Amino acid sequence: MRLLALALHRLAWFVPTLLGLLVVTFVISRVVPADPVALVAGETATPAQVEALRHQLGYDRSLPVQFVEYVGRLARGDMGTSIFTRRPIAEDLAHRLPATIELTVVAMLVSVLVGIPLGVLSAIWRNSPFDHGLRVVTVSGLAIASFWLGIMLQLLFAMRLGWTPLNGRLQGFPPRSITGFYLADAALTGDWPTFGAALLHLALPAATLAFPALATLVRFTRAGVLDVMQSSFVLYERAMGLPRAVIVWKYMLRSALTSTVTQIGLLFGILLAGAVVTEAVFDWPGIGTYAVNSILRSDYNAVMGFTVWAGTIFIVVNLLVDVAHTLVDPRERTT
Amino acid sequence: MKTVGFVLTRLARDRSALFGLVLIAALLVTALLAPILATHPEDVFELHPAERLRGPSAAHWLGTDRMGADVYSRLLFGARITILIGVIAVGASLMVGVPVGLVAGYYHGWLSDALMRVSDVFLAVPQVVLAIAIAQTLGPSLPNVILALSATYWPWFARVVYAETRALQKEVFVESTAALGASPWRLTVLHVLPNIASPIIVRASIGMGFTILTAAALGFLGLGPPPPTPEWGRTIAESREFLPDAWWYATAPGLAIFLTVMGFNLLGDGLRDVLDPRLRRARIARDD
Amino acid sequence: MTDRRTWLIVLLTLVVLATMPSIPAAAQTRFVFANESPYDTMDPHAAFDVGRVAVRLNLYDGLYRWLDNPPKLEPWLAESHTVSPDGLTYTFKLRRGAKFHDGAEITAEDVRYSAERILALKKGAAALLATMLAPGATRALDRYTVQFTLLKPSAIFLAVVPEVHVVNAALLKKNEKDNDWGAAWLTSNDAGSGSYMLTRYDPAVGFIAKRFAGHFMPWGPKYIDEIEFRLVKEDNTRVLGMIKGDYQGTGGYLPNDQVKRLREAPNVKIIEQESMRIMMFQVNNQRSPLTDVHVRRAISYAFDYDGFNKDILGGSVERNPVPIPNNLWGVPRDVKGYAYDLDKAKAELGKAAAKVDRPLTVGYLQGFSQTEQAATVMANGLRKIGIDTKLTSELWPAMVERMKKPETSPDLVVYWISTYYADPNNWIGEMFHSGQWGTFKASSFYKNPKVDELLDVALRSTDRKIREKAYQDAARIVVDDAAGVWIYNTKYFGPWAKNLEGIRFSPIGNGQEMRWVYYAK
Repeated sequence: MRLLALALHRLAWFVPTLLGLLVVTFVISRVVPADPVALVAGETATPAQVEALRHQLGYDRSLPVQFVEYVGRLARGDMGTSIFTRRPIAEDLAHRLPATIELTVVAMLVSVLVGIPLGVLSAIWRNSPFDHGLRVVTVSGLAIASFWLGIMLQLLFAMRLGWTPLNGRLQGFPPRSITGFYLADAALTGDWPTFGAALLHLALPAATLAFPALATLVRFTRAGVLDVMQSSFVLYERAMGLPRAVIVWKYMLRSALTSTVTQIGLLFGILLAGAVVTEAVFDWPGIGTYAVNSILRSDYNAVMGFTVWAGTIFIVVNLLVDVAHTLVDPRERTT
Repeated sequence: MKTVGFVLTRLARDRSALFGLVLIAALLVTALLAPILATHPEDVFELHPAERLRGPSAAHWLGTDRMGADVYSRLLFGARITILIGVIAVGASLMVGVPVGLVAGYYHGWLSDALMRVSDVFLAVPQVVLAIAIAQTLGPSLPNVILALSATYWPWFARVVYAETRALQKEVFVESTAALGASPWRLTVLHVLPNIASPIIVRASIGMGFTILTAAALGFLGLGPPPPTPEWGRTIAESREFLPDAWWYATAPGLAIFLTVMGFNLLGDGLRDVLDPRLRRARIARDD
Repeated sequence: MTDRRTWLIVLLTLVVLATMPSIPAAAQTRFVFANESPYDTMDPHAAFDVGRVAVRLNLYDGLYRWLDNPPKLEPWLAESHTVSPDGLTYTFKLRRGAKFHDGAEITAEDVRYSAERILALKKGAAALLATMLAPGATRALDRYTVQFTLLKPSAIFLAVVPEVHVVNAALLKKNEKDNDWGAAWLTSNDAGSGSYMLTRYDPAVGFIAKRFAGHFMPWGPKYIDEIEFRLVKEDNTRVLGMIKGDYQGTGGYLPNDQVKRLREAPNVKIIEQESMRIMMFQVNNQRSPLTDVHVRRAISYAFDYDGFNKDILGGSVERNPVPIPNNLWGVPRDVKGYAYDLDKAKAELGKAAAKVDRPLTVGYLQGFSQTEQAATVMANGLRKIGIDTKLTSELWPAMVERMKKPETSPDLVVYWISTYYADPNNWIGEMFHSGQWGTFKASSFYKNPKVDELLDVALRSTDRKIREKAYQDAARIVVDDAAGVWIYNTKYFGPWAKNLEGIRFSPIGNGQEMRWVYYAK
């Protein structure tokens, strides 16, 4: 019941927050000095053609009217058409979503699988050289500019060593689309060379995203474990004579990971909403590059569409995090 | 509120915070003394096409760029821009975020709700995307970058201040002062503000790092101050097409960003430990 | 070994064999080109630029075609043509038996439909064509004869004819939607007759096409069976891919440092050609203080041409002091133009009646770092003669938008004028005739009745001598007026796989017409 109340409370705020978000984006995108209609009409269009197109796109009406119309269409599930790609925004987003999800999942997998064990170990071996060494890594992870890290990885692994491709999701045409995820599609069709190529393409951007995420996870895991280690129930179990390994991995982790789980959720949301700069560096055809390109081209509808996506992710992730929090942390459940 | 002396002694005992402080001090000195420390101060504008893309040498410690200008000298002047952006953007965010947080935290009701919803809205899109959108709309220039960063960062302050104010309200002394008939404004300024100064300072330090990173990203995407400004993010973008040969060109500004942001992050962490026991979650059981 | 296991293996083998894609009997030859801009449309009438030229040259044919360097107009779908004495009527005789990819014969009606389609869609070459040809002025006289009646005599009509790529009228009519001339459908399909047929297209990737054996032009003994043109954005990726052998060709305007790397690669050859692509600053002649000829001359003297051409671009380009490419006719050979000379620049500023009392805006193109570097060099020169500058950048489409009006165009903008057709009118004519204001080529907003008249004479006449003289005279005046700052003419350094033969470079196609190309074994 408590979960349900929590979910309802969050959802109640969903619509107003999203509306507010739309207002902000709407205002920002409509005060641009460039005239996007003229851009779309092309370099050879006459003023009359531009005006006709403006009317056709509905950009000649007053801003509040445009906004109400937009929200009305959005409520019916219509995000409008990108004035640049000339395709429905929802289609554009759906087309690019698999790329971003694939990258995010791989990056998060890496950071979770590496970050949590490292965090636990550094808590157990607190103040050891290992712990200190790891701290250098975590501090670096949060201070490094992701685009620079990406470029340095490219410099080393793609240009100097030639181990990985420089950028892109795959050179040439993708495997037959079943799920839209190249790794899954290649595996399903048994196209292992493509699978390998897709994996190699993923390596550098995923590493770039995973590094700061990993740093965050190590920090929170370490803190969580230390916190629990000093709490009473661990002391109790230790007194009961349970083996140290069992205590650490089985009992402690569950309670220690509460804040880590929160962080995983938040990081996941941040990456899904667009690892904008990293995608730009690696020319990754995902949501992030779509957002940047749309902004640079003053493509109103596309920017709004992205905003809806990012806002939804933000709210959903926060909701899930709260729910997970309640489920994972036994202490919170009993209160 | 702890005294400055107390904070400094505690910080000095925290090795990594001390390191952060040293980094920031170095950055400040670099920025202030750039004209003296630079080997080729005129290269902020001057070009020497014949000497382009030379590797590090005695004459050019960090090599030269695509225009033959000295990378090291331009890097030093870039520090000025970085500090300028960070200080003004964080300062402006403070000026907006703190009052909003105070009002929202102090009053209960629709105003409070509305203010916090507005700040939520700003937090619901990735900060970089919002900054890119604003910077692109206003056009690439230094003031616009600062404006874009301020517009995206103030909600963090609002949130912190809001939470702290609410927490303080529950504490007895505010209630009792209110019961004594102190005016709300007086109450806020005299009692709440000093008590929440610590988290604000911590947030500001972390915010400097964040703002500088975002500013560099804007510069990298071509939305920062226009050339020939020696902004670090822009320099990295410029250098890309000369890789892998001119590695020094891309490496130097990235390291500068890295060290600067690390300085502020470490200081922020250290300050948090010293000033604000309630916020010590991430490092709670560290016993060094 | 049990029986069951043997059966299982047999069964598995059969399944694997059955599901395996059939392998062609003979080894097919393939070619992959790494292009710097996307193939966002397959419609040959929607684009008129070098970035998407491969679509037009490989999938489509025109009546005439530009070949080789210096470019020559060769009969292509047409066998010959005649011009009426008044220069208004052009009549083309079509080749018989030429076929579209679906097997239908190409007729005069298809040519007529194609010309009307360009004018109706108003994209690509339409702006240029519309100055000469009105809708409805093209007629199919019989199955193999097509006639164009021009609005006024034009010396460049024939030069633009190759851009009238002939589309399959019947096929397009079948795929029309709301009278759109099949525009929606053709964006991602093929209605051509060209040497290659589209087999796969993805706007985010590029296109694949296979050889059209039935092309009207007989194939040589050796050819490439399948070609792929693909978007590859980063210079570095293109260069690495060439070195690794992932690509067999890429654009020929790479930065000098990258060309140097490619020269060292064992499997790459660089084909060098004189090209026609002028880099220049447009100077906004309508905005004070640039209305003053002395200020404009000062600007022309303040750009470090040698530093830019020789040092920054490593000598990969050649100084071109006039608004016509050096290697084309119509250039006044005695005109030396401006050199980098700050003293002369200051002297000119001293003579100027107008005072430069505000920073000049210098525009460059986002994503083209060479324009950014040129703008920086310009800013540095101007700073030395006491003129402040503000650099401003836009993506190309946005810059085109700004350049439509003198009020919104920056004071200076730097970019290239490429070869849309090989005639001086492509450069000086479209750049400095006041009737061209509003197009991106004419963003200097220059107005001089004398120059207008000379350019009109050159455009109307079909006598090469008269035209040449007119262009030379016009160029002299424009240079003396310092109406723009002309920097260089590009050389083409095309990286191709070493074992490729038969590449035919022309400044219009940049060697991307693949029907001539084959692998030497």
